[in-house]
Amino acid sequence: MSDFLRSYLTVAIFGLVGFALVGAFLGLGRLLRPDKPNLAKTEAYESGVDPTGDMWSQSNIRYYIFALLFVMFDVEAVFIFPWAARLEAYEIFGLIEMAIFIFILLLGLLYAWRKGVLKWV
Amino acid sequence: MTDFLNDWGLTAITFVPLAGALVMMLIPRDNEGAHKQISLGASLLALALGVVLLFDFDYGSAGSLQFVTDEKWIEVINSRYILGLDGMSLPLMALTVLVMPLVFIYSWNHIPEPGNGKAFLILMLILETGMIGTFVAQDLILFFVFFEVVLLPMFFMIAVWGGPNRRYASLKFFLFTLFGSALMLLGFLALFFLSKDPATGELLRTFDMRALTDVAGAGIVRSSQLLIFGGMFLGFGIKVPLFPFHTWLPDAHTEAPTQGSVILAAILLKLGTYGFIRIAIPMLPEAAEAWAPWIGLLAVIGIIYGALGCLAQTDMKRLIAFSSVAHMGFVMLGIATLTDFGINAAIFGMVAHGLITGMLFFVAGSVKERYHTLDIGRLGGMLIQAPRLGWILGFITMASLGLPGLAGFWGEFPAILAAYQPANGIPVETFRTYMVIAAVGTVLAAGYLLWLLQRTAMGEPSEEFADDPNITDVSRIEWIAWTPMLALILVFGVAPGLIFEITDPAVVESLNNCLQLPAGCEGVAEATQAAFGG
Amino acid sequence: MLALLAQQVPDFVRPDIDWHAAAPELTLLTFGALVTMMDIVWLEKGRKLTSIVASIGLLATMVPIITLAVDGADRSMFGGAFVVDDYALIMKAVFILTGYVVILLSTNYIAEGDYWENEYYGLLLSSILGMILMASARDLITIFVALELLSIPAYMLATWRKRDLKSNEAGMKYYLMGVFASAIMLYGMSLLYGGSGSTLLTDINESISGPGDPSAVVVLGIIFVIVGFAFKVSAVPFHTWAPDTYEGAPTPITAFLSVASKAAGFVALMNMLFVGFFGRDDVYEPVIWILAALSMTVGNLIALRQTNMVRLLAYSGVAQAGYMLAPLAVAGDVPDSALAATVGYLVIYAAMNLGAFAVVIAVARKTRTAEIDDYRGLFHWAPGLTVAMTVFLFALAGIPPLGGWWAKFRIMGAVIEANTAAGVVMGIFVAVNSVIALYYYARIGVKMWAEPAPDDDTAPVRVPVSLTSALVLTAAATIAFGVLPGLVGEVTKVSLLAGVGG
Repeated sequence: MSDFLRSYLTVAIFGLVGFALVGAFLGLGRLLRPDKPNLAKTEAYESGVDPTGDMWSQSNIRYYIFALLFVMFDVEAVFIFPWAARLEAYEIFGLIEMAIFIFILLLGLLYAWRKGVLKWV
Repeated sequence: MTDFLNDWGLTAITFVPLAGALVMMLIPRDNEGAHKQISLGASLLALALGVVLLFDFDYGSAGSLQFVTDEKWIEVINSRYILGLDGMSLPLMALTVLVMPLVFIYSWNHIPEPGNGKAFLILMLILETGMIGTFVAQDLILFFVFFEVVLLPMFFMIAVWGGPNRRYASLKFFLFTLFGSALMLLGFLALFFLSKDPATGELLRTFDMRALTDVAGAGIVRSSQLLIFGGMFLGFGIKVPLFPFHTWLPDAHTEAPTQGSVILAAILLKLGTYGFIRIAIPMLPEAAEAWAPWIGLLAVIGIIYGALGCLAQTDMKRLIAFSSVAHMGFVMLGIATLTDFGINAAIFGMVAHGLITGMLFFVAGSVKERYHTLDIGRLGGMLIQAPRLGWILGFITMASLGLPGLAGFWGEFPAILAAYQPANGIPVETFRTYMVIAAVGTVLAAGYLLWLLQRTAMGEPSEEFADDPNITDVSRIEWIAWTPMLALILVFGVAPGLIFEITDPAVVESLNNCLQLPAGCEGVAEATQAAFGG
Repeated sequence: MLALLAQQVPDFVRPDIDWHAAAPELTLLTFGALVTMMDIVWLEKGRKLTSIVASIGLLATMVPIITLAVDGADRSMFGGAFVVDDYALIMKAVFILTGYVVILLSTNYIAEGDYWENEYYGLLLSSILGMILMASARDLITIFVALELLSIPAYMLATWRKRDLKSNEAGMKYYLMGVFASAIMLYGMSLLYGGSGSTLLTDINESISGPGDPSAVVVLGIIFVIVGFAFKVSAVPFHTWAPDTYEGAPTPITAFLSVASKAAGFVALMNMLFVGFFGRDDVYEPVIWILAALSMTVGNLIALRQTNMVRLLAYSGVAQAGYMLAPLAVAGDVPDSALAATVGYLVIYAAMNLGAFAVVIAVARKTRTAEIDDYRGLFHWAPGLTVAMTVFLFALAGIPPLGGWWAKFRIMGAVIEANTAAGVVMGIFVAVNSVIALYYYARIGVKMWAEPAPDDDTAPVRVPVSLTSALVLTAAATIAFGVLPGLVGEVTKVSLLAGVGG
């Protein structure tokens, strides 16, 4: 077996063990716990609030837009961290590259701001 | 001037009509008089150039190309802008430049419904460029482009200015011909990629028709040759049209406006037969030999089928259309013999059929204009009501059925004769059988044409039209448009050598290049020369 | 931890950037940013200017493309992941000019409707940016990034008529199918990377094109990648999104999708076939052959029964994609001819198809629909448009002397030149299909010319200046390509094989 495939074997074993553990604990719990079903236990949230209406209720679109903006800057961070770690090696070239990258993202943020996305009315 | 003529004469004659069309596009539609003048002027200019070329043509060497233009065109595929004229294309080019002005003259007061003379005349000028170009092009791609340029104008002429069933007829015409030409193009491409120089064995990679005729399919394996010929056969055969691809023709003719029918019959059908003798046969003689019996078979079926079809028609235009199928059958039979004699007859047949059937459609158009019907059963007594029209119809019917002394005879009779002794390698018995069948065909032709004449021209005028003031005799415009054609039918009938002398050297040239003319045939070739005063 | 990471990676070598080679992309990026900035500064007040700025941006991008073409040298960056050669330049020019015509088509359409205008042009420019990047991409990652950059804006543009249900359907179908295709392609790419250990197409080629049978991983990778692009170019059986999307999207965007987006798919496919998979024609030729034959036949047969002009053009586009695929089915036998044929077809197709859509947009200004029956009697109230439409339709059908004949001719030339049974059969497929296609094109011609207008309504239609100039440009190009085919013939004499050993 080639090295390449061997490294996948590790992943495969790891995955199998993971599944086996989850299965083992759930199965063990089932064996040990008492089994007394009632209606309250089947509700979506057992937080004391009675669920009303349909499961497919609409949530405000603004949550979605904020989530999108969040993802945008999250991804930005993913790129910035490794860049920061190697900034000395990249020198001024890297600085300019990152400036352009952030500028384009910033344009997006400015756009969102001017279009009133950031206001929660 | 002579230099210009030699180098650019053919380019000029080809594109003069197109230039006229471009000028007309700039003039508003309302000014119909100007459009008629320009279109007629452009076609007359082409005719004048044609006459100059006729005079300048070196008849001593009619076998070789003259007025050759050879310029760069599409370098990537080594296709060149080559034009040239030899004895084979000269009669057909002359026919085109002669017939077109007559059609424009006829259009002077015959713009068909729904009017819009501007578009109608522009389309006819584009058509003329396409047809002349096809006859003088000496490069396969150039030939193909001109061959296809003809399609669109004709399609629109039928679709817009045609009869009640025009949409069906125009689409059928278009689809049939395009189907053939698409496969023909595949054949051209295969020739391009497969032809080899017989001396060096190198690939030629050229579309130059002269070079391809010279190598005559050398280096192409027989099975490929047969396939390539098959593609061209479909392309040209549909255009001719050979039985069983003829079904578009009666529809197209019946629905087309008079001018469209005349052009279609007089010139367009010849593009197909011309393709056979200019391209398919000289470039692939071996395959031609193998295909010849089948072509001959379809030709004689066409002769008989066309004749029987005529007998069943009640519509005058449809009858003439079926008679076209029969007449083109004679032309194809002549070609299928692959002899000098037969092919000469075929070219004569093309010219004669162009003049005669063109005239028949002119007369049919005039009859329709007067009687508003072409139903043979309702017509009658034309000789009494419009005697000159009746006599003209009589004259061309006689020419069409092949009366000796008129042009039709020299197309049919030698073709039948040639079938007696086809080229070497072609089954003689088969062709002798064809000959007999074709001879029966001439009798049938006499039958249906005389029947047509009798029903329409003779007898008493039917009651329905007896006092119709619309029915007048031949008008001045009609006389101007028709006289040249009528005269030529007579002239060529009396002196067929006028055409045979021009075509024969070119035919011999193109056949000699490719076929080792068999001993038996040389005799016929000599006989031809002797018979027609060569 | 970070220090540890820094120790392990090799020293950073500053990539050599050839600013001239990257100039087209950078120019377009600048103008894209400019369009957005205009919106940030002026908001609605900048509306009128955006289409002008966007078209200036495209014309400005043509400048470096022309200087690069004059310069003539092949340029390569990032270890061969970004290549500027004649092929790339031609395709870039096609994308830019197509984009320009699309802006001409859009100007009045977007301004007169209830649409976001600024974003429209911004997204259009970024989509075109993805396309010109694609023309240079010779690396799996670059190709994928370019593909997403051109696709994602296009998904949004397809839904631009947001109050129209059909437009929503259009965008949704396009989006779902596109993402699905991307996923399949990405899987194929990962297999190829796994099989060869590199994302560079030249490296991939070196590792997979050796003699002997290819490994199963490579075969699967190649097929998945081709299937992914088959979605993009709407080849049968992956065409199902096209008619609905074309019908629902705003018509200028339909034109954009059917020309530019399709061309981008073909560019990527050609990059893959001619650089990455070259020498593995035993794998890709049969797949492409089947796709090509199916596309042209099924596309044409379904087009016969359409009653809506845009849907008809969609199915005819499917068939046209089949024609363009045809030479790629013999790409291994006659690479140069096949490439020239497909590139030439793309160039000519862009002119004639954009023109056809320009007429559709112009006619819809009066009729408000694209039903074929509304084209009846067009000649009586819009003779100019009728002549233009006739030119474009018969060019698409391939009738000389209009542009399309040369395109089809090169296709037939390439498949016949291959001199294989598959090639000849493909040639016959193309020939027969041209005839089927002619039926529906000619039928529209008859309707326009020979039938009376519905309700005898012959009020003329006002065609705005920008639309007229788009019509004139495309019609002139369509006719010029047909009469002087040497024009296209010369510029498409390109080669993609420079980087491949052997």
